[in-house]
Amino acid sequence: MTAAANKQLLQDIFAAVAAGNRQPLLDHIADEVTMQVTGHNSWSQTFRGKEALVRDLYGYLATLLADGRRTVPLRFIADDDHVVVEAKGEMRTKAGIPYNNDYCLIYRLQNGRIVEIREYCDYALTEAVLGPFPASMKQRG
Amino acid sequence: MSMKATDHEPSDNKTIVQHVFDELARSNSQPLLDRLAEDFRFVIMGSGSWSRSFEGKAAVLAELFAPLREKIADRITIVPVRLIAEGDLVVVEARGRNTTRDGKAYDNTYCNVIRLEAGQFKEWTEYCDTLLVEKVLGPPGEAAKQLT
Repeated sequence: MTAAANKQLLQDIFAAVAAGNRQPLLDHIADEVTMQVTGHNSWSQTFRGKEALVRDLYGYLATLLADGRRTVPLRFIADDDHVVVEAKGEMRTKAGIPYNNDYCLIYRLQNGRIVEIREYCDYALTEAVLGPFPASMKQRG
Repeated sequence: MSMKATDHEPSDNKTIVQHVFDELARSNSQPLLDRLAEDFRFVIMGSGSWSRSFEGKAAVLAELFAPLREKIADRITIVPVRLIAEGDLVVVEARGRNTTRDGKAYDNTYCNVIRLEAGQFKEWTEYCDTLLVEKVLGPPGEAAKQLT
């Protein structure tokens, strides 16, 4: 797929994510995806495979965040097989505390599937609002 | 986007930014300084003590780069990992290779979104590990506070 097609795909996916519907995102994640949470904090690690990503990261976040979380895209930048999405989270914890992080998300696509994700965000906010990522659930390697 | 920005093909912008970061990887910030527009804006995203918008090249130099140099031993080194470019925007994923004056490693991870116009840097949006900033650098020094 061209850079323009990849960009359009992410724009369509994020139109849904911004409305609180993460299903199109999940549907386009390849089984062999790797997701790197960047940085040097408790959340920083690489999730290998869709199953691990959905269970260990998205699953854990679902225990902390209230339903209806939204991620609103601000800017898309596409080059070959990469699409960068700058976005603003609009979320609340189950206790009602706002969690509105700033994200720069890098997606690498292959044949219309997301095969690689790298997340850059405000991890000071992440740890302050969500707490540290549980050591017992940390990915190895 | 201005007419001037469209004069520069994406490959030009990518090449310019690649050169600037290849030099930053060699601890040489001069090519970067030479490319900053007078009305250059630097935005550090997030909720950290360094997170804010710095408006204008003079403010960036005095209120961001100078306080940063007070914290870092030797010259600042940032190594580019990947460039992604479209139109007037170039995204640079990069890794810092720095040591604080009190000897702590400061190797932050960066995603920089840079907007160029006519070959000059107009805006730089930085995403980095703000928690690492707080833990290793701490808040900007008194000098920076007096300037802001």
